[in-house]
Amino acid sequence: MNNEHTFSKLKEIIKPFVKDQQAFDTLSPDTDFINDLKINSANLVDIILDIEEGFDIVIDNEEMERMLNVKAALEIIENKLSGKE
Amino acid sequence: MIGNDIIDLDTARMESNWRRKGYLQKIFTESEQLLISGSVDPEIMVWCLWSMKEAAYKIYNRQTGIRSYMPLKLNCYDLEITDHGRRGKVSCEGAIYFTETTITKRYIHSSAVVYRNFFKQLILNIYDNNEEVGAQNPICRDEYGLPFTTDKKTLQRLPASISHHGRFFSHIAI
Repeated sequence: MNNEHTFSKLKEIIKPFVKDQQAFDTLSPDTDFINDLKINSANLVDIILDIEEGFDIVIDNEEMERMLNVKAALEIIENKLSGKE
Repeated sequence: MIGNDIIDLDTARMESNWRRKGYLQKIFTESEQLLISGSVDPEIMVWCLWSMKEAAYKIYNRQTGIRSYMPLKLNCYDLEITDHGRRGKVSCEGAIYFTETTITKRYIHSSAVVYRNFFKQLILNIYDNNEEVGAQNPICRDEYGLPFTTDKKTLQRLPASISHHGRFFSHIAI
């Protein structure tokens, strides 16, 4: 799976929880889930569970702690996926 | 230092499915999961504990400058039933925060403080979206983006904490 594919798949996962459409339209690695997309912190766990299901990976507690922006999410996913191969 | 968090129960029902597989395990410790499963109203306990964690995290974040999604490191314990809801404690990385939670049919609100006696001085305001917000005691933000209110008599800056969810907006100050 290449980076672009991961990014677009992540974008689809995030989409239902976004509260700031403008920030979502200009989504970049620097986009912050809570500060920019205004995602409710109780929904961040839904995103983490959806990532686990969507990419068939397990996100541990330490990784979850870093899961605050697109860049961190992509890094964690890519890291897990490369470990699987 | 103080922190607070409000949860609109209607919004929570619409936007969060806490019964989803794996959900509780990701954000609640084993002892908290026991509190939920042993509660007569698990839904209320879920949001009571969550608002306690969020209120305590706001203090932790201010004290340390650390931003982290760390619900499992915020451990709620010593919960007691009060007239309005629950009193309890949240520990986080060695620190202990004291909490007071108000539980109503429409919302759940938690305040967290570093010393229990702060609750005597605490000013709590909860607004419905339809009502005018902040007219009496406006919340400003300082150069670091942290909220404060100004005492009308002494013009001293007082630390404040704000929270918004669904229809509700809350702020606390001391």
